[in-house]
Amino acid sequence: MALLEVDHLSVTYTPRDQPANRAVHDVSFHLSEGEFVGLLGESGCGKSTLGNAVLRLLSPPAHITGGRVAFDGVDLTEADDEQLRKLRWVDLSTVFQSSMNSLNPVIRVQAQFADTFAAHKVPGDVTERATELLELVALDRRVLRAYPHELSGGMKQRVALALALALRPKLVLLDEPTTGLDVVVQRGILTRLAELRRELGFAVLFISHDLGTVLEMADRVMVMYGGEIVEDRPAAEMLREPRHPYTRGLLGSYADPRLPDVRVSYIPGRPPDLSRTHAGCLFTTRCPHAEDPCRTIHPDLLPDRGGLVRCLVAQENRLPVVTLGSAEAATVLGSHFPATGSLDRPADAADAAPVLTVERVSKRYTSRRGMRTNTVEAVRDASFALRPGRVTALVGQSGSGKSTLARLVTGVERPSSGEVRFTGEGGADVRVDRLRGRALRDYRRHVQMVFQDPFSALNPTRTIAYALSRPLANFAGLRGAAARERTAQLLESVGLSPAGQFLDKLPHQLSGGQRQRVVTARALAPEPRVLIADEPISMLDVSIRAEILELLGDLVRERRLAMLYITHDLLSARLLADEVLVLNQGTLVERGATREVIGSARDDYTRLLLDSIPNPFGKAAGQQTLPST
Amino acid sequence: MVYFLRRFVFFLGTLWAAVTLNFLIPRLQPGDPAEAIVSRLAGQSESVDPAQVQAIRVMLGTPDGNLFDQYVQYLGAVLHGDFGISYTYFPYSVTHMIGQALPWTVILVGVTQIISFIVGTLLGTWAAYRRNSRVDSVITLGSTFLGTLPFFWLALLLVYVFAITLHWFPERGGYGGGSSPGWSWLFISDAFQHSVLPAVALLITGPIGWIIGMRNNMVQSLGEDHTRLAVARGLSRRRVAITYGARIAILPNVTGFAIALGGILGGTVLVETVFNYPGMGRLLLESVSSRDYPLMQAIFLFTTVGVLVANFLADLLYGFLDPRVRKVESA
Ligand SMILES: Nc1ncnc2c1ncn2[C@@H]1O[C@H](COP(=O)(O)OP(=O)(O)OP(=O)(O)O)[C@@H](O)[C@H]1O
Ligand code: SF4
Ligand SMILES: [Mg+2]
Repeated sequence: MALLEVDHLSVTYTPRDQPANRAVHDVSFHLSEGEFVGLLGESGCGKSTLGNAVLRLLSPPAHITGGRVAFDGVDLTEADDEQLRKLRWVDLSTVFQSSMNSLNPVIRVQAQFADTFAAHKVPGDVTERATELLELVALDRRVLRAYPHELSGGMKQRVALALALALRPKLVLLDEPTTGLDVVVQRGILTRLAELRRELGFAVLFISHDLGTVLEMADRVMVMYGGEIVEDRPAAEMLREPRHPYTRGLLGSYADPRLPDVRVSYIPGRPPDLSRTHAGCLFTTRCPHAEDPCRTIHPDLLPDRGGLVRCLVAQENRLPVVTLGSAEAATVLGSHFPATGSLDRPADAADAAPVLTVERVSKRYTSRRGMRTNTVEAVRDASFALRPGRVTALVGQSGSGKSTLARLVTGVERPSSGEVRFTGEGGADVRVDRLRGRALRDYRRHVQMVFQDPFSALNPTRTIAYALSRPLANFAGLRGAAARERTAQLLESVGLSPAGQFLDKLPHQLSGGQRQRVVTARALAPEPRVLIADEPISMLDVSIRAEILELLGDLVRERRLAMLYITHDLLSARLLADEVLVLNQGTLVERGATREVIGSARDDYTRLLLDSIPNPFGKAAGQQTLPST
Repeated sequence: MVYFLRRFVFFLGTLWAAVTLNFLIPRLQPGDPAEAIVSRLAGQSESVDPAQVQAIRVMLGTPDGNLFDQYVQYLGAVLHGDFGISYTYFPYSVTHMIGQALPWTVILVGVTQIISFIVGTLLGTWAAYRRNSRVDSVITLGSTFLGTLPFFWLALLLVYVFAITLHWFPERGGYGGGSSPGWSWLFISDAFQHSVLPAVALLITGPIGWIIGMRNNMVQSLGEDHTRLAVARGLSRRRVAITYGARIAILPNVTGFAIALGGILGGTVLVETVFNYPGMGRLLLESVSSRDYPLMQAIFLFTTVGVLVANFLADLLYGFLDPRVRKVESA
């Protein structure tokens, strides 16, 4: 008997005003004592729903419509409230996807530990036990006295993890425990988690959309697509030879940015609409290997080379063979998907005259607290230039001053010292740091931003055509039919084609990637010369990130835009940027051609950032290659 | 600490603004309200005390006089609670009239408000705790239904059934002809008898807002991640409902309640009119209908100050109840 047994579990959402949505369909898997299993899949594929069903935490409109979940031999689907309550946390605990809100905001951290101990009548001193638990996750005991809002995101996440381990459970279900955190913080938490698991021996079900992390951490990985498990096999095997085309596509979006030639691929298209029934394989529309039978026969999850796979072609052993374990994995894997690689740009761009020059810029913020004034140097003595047709990546941890620099460039804020110069069409210089009022507004049309969150960047009640017509009217004076025509051109230029299909849609009718394209089109509307992209892909699914990167790269080349690409993701910087600036606590600590900076990082901080990137191929390589000494 | 200090400064600021507005408004009015009152008083009786005329002038304005001097005099008068004499209730002073009316309102409305809040919060919590059950439907539908009935209709129905038909309670007024205000048993029991019907009317409609507000807030807070995590941690349903649901859901209602309490200084015009109850609401109505400016002005000032003080106290309380605001404000 396995620790957790999920058999033929199905979950359906039946909202009142929308069609029923079959979020989890006929899912079966077992999880043994002490095992670390990853559950992988893109946004909306039903990972959290499955997790909540296992925890019996679903609330209407979600209902378990079939199957059972057994934990340690107890059928959770049948258990009553009191049975569940006794088992919860003692045996089965969890860290939620958005742990930012998973602590009660009006009581202190200590009280939340106390609550947990009291609920299970754990004897002993709460403070002492809670302090020990916080030590496990490397937090100071002072955190106990704090309210949740006084903690940073990473600290909250650590508290949530400490809380999850409070009663030494047999299984911890982690739902995207580090998504949304800074890479370095993320790495710290995951490393600690792996150590704790070795010490304490609990089993883990680790839900994530981040394949790199999952493959690196887990013993076994289950890949979910459209509410079904499509592949299930040991992580090392999956790395050596992923068997489902979807898994291959996902793996193709990873690469080691340190390699001389980096290529990643993406999976075009959108996941299936689960409120409709589909006859054949759910992945057909996006699958490069699809054949006629795929459209009519729904494949079963069948044993296949030490794992399970749900693909007709793979089951007949007719998928192209790839044997991996090498660092070139991604290149080969992704070869059937559209791909984008580290871009070659005309060499002349390197010495074109800069459009924007930042010279010895510093920015101090002063905050007053009672009698004391506190000065923070957000940016210190930074100099760089943006050139047409070139992408400059600005890399750094959160809080390092990246966004402050962006605000200085757009003129939203003025530097405390130093100059920001913009070179206009005719070659005349504009001192951005001195602009006011109308002049500043005129300047802004030349410098446009693409933001991190495509979901909040668009007004949900306005059509795409409206969103694009605003900047056209404001900056170019276009209205009516002329504006509509230009809008259509813009949509085509960001790959939303045919444009007519998108003009009258509302944002929620588009996928995340499509929305980010719309946001990009809007930024292009005033024909800017500089584009500032602030983490434009970090909120998107891994499988479509490369697609947006490719779009941005093409735009820079075709329109000879100068781009400042802000990120903490070195892989994307490697793919997109010609030049990298590394920012640490307001100071530019390293700079140079992307390949050199990333390939042979000199600064400690740059190396820390590099080491924080999940690298599944490193694991595979480590297991395969013999010690070279 | 910073939070509380800041709130206090803000309170003083708004209080000053309210008092000053009250000074400016009659002076900005076309014509001369003070003169109108004085001449009407003079027409009514021969013996208008010049000191009283002066008091009215201080409050409502002198046609030709330095505005600053007037302001200083006005502030002095307000501080001493000297609002001049009432035109309607001549020769009683405004302060006297308010002193007469205030206890009636404060006791009737204050008590019913407090009961309404407690009952409403409890019912709302219960409905949310049992959401989508029969209890929930009865409470929500019931209160929504009562909320749609016009208040005066409800009040008249009460009067018709319990006073006119059954003769259980007196029909109108605050006390009967047989007793006079004082600390006598006769008067207190009489006043109690008179207050039953208006109180019942207020208690039927009073809790509705709190019920709906509390239920909705709590359904929301029960859906929050921290509540779901509390369930996952194996906390008992009651514990979750109280510390994780109700504790957070009540926060917005606290401010609403304090403001409602502050507002009672202005009385409840509708109840007091229907039951002919001798409180602030009726006084206000009468002062408006007979354009008794001194009385009106004083009642408005009173109400504003009441709301401001209540708001200030609510802010303080909120600061204690919700650690988040303290932080945000002082950061
Ligand atoms: N309350 C709800 N009502 C209706 N449908 C819902 C509801 N919550 C989720 N769904 C649907 O259920 C499906 C699965 O959602 P789920 O949250 O499990 O996805 P996920 O894999 O965890 O995604 P993410 O990576 O974004 O967290 C989605 O299609 C989603 O639209
Ligand atoms: S069954 Fe066909 S469509 Fe589905 S994954 Fe396999 S090859 Fe692709
Ligand atoms: Mg999820």
